Amino acid sequence: MSDSKESCLVCRCEELTEDEIRQAIREGCTTLTAIKRRTRAGMGLCQGRTCQRLILAILAQETGQDVAELVPDTSRFPVRPIRAELVGDLRDGEDS
Amino acid sequence: MNRSVDVAIVGAGPAGICAAIETARRGARVLVIDENHTPGGQLFKQIHKFFGSARHRAGVRGIEIGRELVDSAVKAGAEFLTDSAALGVFPGPRLAVNVGNEEAIAVSAKRILLATGATENAVSFPGWTLPGVMGAGAAQTMLNVNRVLPGNRILMIGSGNVGLVVSYQLLQGGAAVLAVIEAAPRVGGYAVHANKIARAGVEILTSHVVTEARGVDRVTSAQVAKVDDRWTPIKGTEREFEVDAICIATGLNAMTELARMAGCRIVHLRELGGYTPWHDRRMCTSLPEIYVAGDAAGVEEASSAMEKGRIAGISILEDLGFIAPCDAQTERDDLWKSLEALRQGPFGNTVRRGYDRLFGDESRCSSCTSAHRGEDFMVGSAPRKAPGYPSDTRLAKGPVAVIECTQEIPCNPCESACARHAITVGDPITSLPRLDEDKCNGCGRCIAYCSGLAIITIDAAYSDTEALMGFPYEFLPCPNKGDEVSLVDRLGKPIARGRVMRVTKPMDGTRVVYAVAPKELIHDIRGIKWQAGGESQ
Repeated sequence: MSDSKESCLVCRCEELTEDEIRQAIREGCTTLTAIKRRTRAGMGLCQGRTCQRLILAILAQETGQDVAELVPDTSRFPVRPIRAELVGDLRDGEDS
Repeated sequence: MNRSVDVAIVGAGPAGICAAIETARRGARVLVIDENHTPGGQLFKQIHKFFGSARHRAGVRGIEIGRELVDSAVKAGAEFLTDSAALGVFPGPRLAVNVGNEEAIAVSAKRILLATGATENAVSFPGWTLPGVMGAGAAQTMLNVNRVLPGNRILMIGSGNVGLVVSYQLLQGGAAVLAVIEAAPRVGGYAVHANKIARAGVEILTSHVVTEARGVDRVTSAQVAKVDDRWTPIKGTEREFEVDAICIATGLNAMTELARMAGCRIVHLRELGGYTPWHDRRMCTSLPEIYVAGDAAGVEEASSAMEKGRIAGISILEDLGFIAPCDAQTERDDLWKSLEALRQGPFGNTVRRGYDRLFGDESRCSSCTSAHRGEDFMVGSAPRKAPGYPSDTRLAKGPVAVIECTQEIPCNPCESACARHAITVGDPITSLPRLDEDKCNGCGRCIAYCSGLAIITIDAAYSDTEALMGFPYEFLPCPNKGDEVSLVDRLGKPIARGRVMRVTKPMDGTRVVYAVAPKELIHDIRGIKWQAGGESQ
């Protein structure tokens, strides 16, 4: 980024800028899931709650699609942070 | 320890609690899971009076409604698991829950209701990640729940009801709100909310955006520019605001993580905030064991969330055999009627269109265009022709109410406030209040009942040169009898001085301050400005 203005942060948890998201899309990531796999956008603490809409808007703009046509990304356990040791409780519980 | 219940509800906001009340009082075993410390969701942040009708608890502050609902749910036998985040949904259906960061448990339920609410939309501009830039909802939590002022000089982005209401509450908290920045050419929220903050001197800049937030360790200034009709900032229109906080109120979107994990069909409905779990009129998602309610089923507001929660509760009871299908249908029909009443009027257009699309009733959309939204509404304009505005002849006779309510919003507490039946809203509740000026004696009882603070009284026969005007007042400290105050116009500009003659006891937090004003300015003076210990400006 030789220009004076730094590109805007989009995914603050994983510290990804708008330029980086656009770059990923131009390199072929044309779904939210693909962008996520390539860049880690939406994989941080907030699990995409903040950035998903921003990325959708960029994706729609870059690909010329309507936001409504875009598919949301996969949501996975755990949707909120949890101490790793507690996940074990759950496993025991599920077995009983 | 793992649990097994009839109904597991995720989210103890208005929708979740109402569903809990409906299901628990009919004998279902109900567990309500919420990640917050106390149940109530956003209700405990809502210190303003609600709109709607008596059935929707209009005129009552959100915090009061919250208390009543939590009480009823506990009495009905619902169990609350707070400080506990639902982490995932698994086949069964089962929920994985992090209980107080101490234990993770699995909750098996016959039915799961997702009432997880919505999350705030972000906007990105250079500097938006600086400390001090936050969601308006976050600011409201700091202010009303934690009693911490998020800043002293604040800029609000977004003029929807959230932006307007939070701005007002920030003012009540003692902060200066420098301006409300709205990208669209018009105010998004209710005129009455906009007028409240305009009277307090807040500038509302439509067709403007924040182009940059600046600061080193935290935000210290913001650059604002006017935009053209293609939303591009116009060079040369930049303005700099010195701020220590920027609040973002640019809408909400449903929290769908759990619904997506469960495999519920997700649809995109812009009118309802974006991605929304598909559901039917029973609030059942594409998976028969999973229901959805509240903002998680499409972004609206608290009153409709409550009704959506009740509908979901009734449907779940029907599924589980607690009530007969015909009774369930009768109750649902009634709740739907109430829900539709809330969505009436021009402000309900968007939401109605969203649900018409969801339920495949797009033919109904034609009715959306006819409604009048008060297109001519400009902040600060004088609504002399509103049906609540008395005639000059009547004004000359003595005390009378002046109702500056110009938009068809679903609200009618003023109607029942008047013991003399001088105010009529009628059916639909979006009708503008009509004043029967001969019945009105200007008693001022309606002033504190109006959730929009849109009513004042004027006694133009007070003396030869002066009128006595009564204004709603919700700031602290409050002036006392004998104090001299500034009398301001609809944009908060001081246009005269007045003396306080009487201050009523607070009616649910709202006082009426009566002040003498120059008679020739009764159509312009709409509020008072006062600072304890004399006016600084």
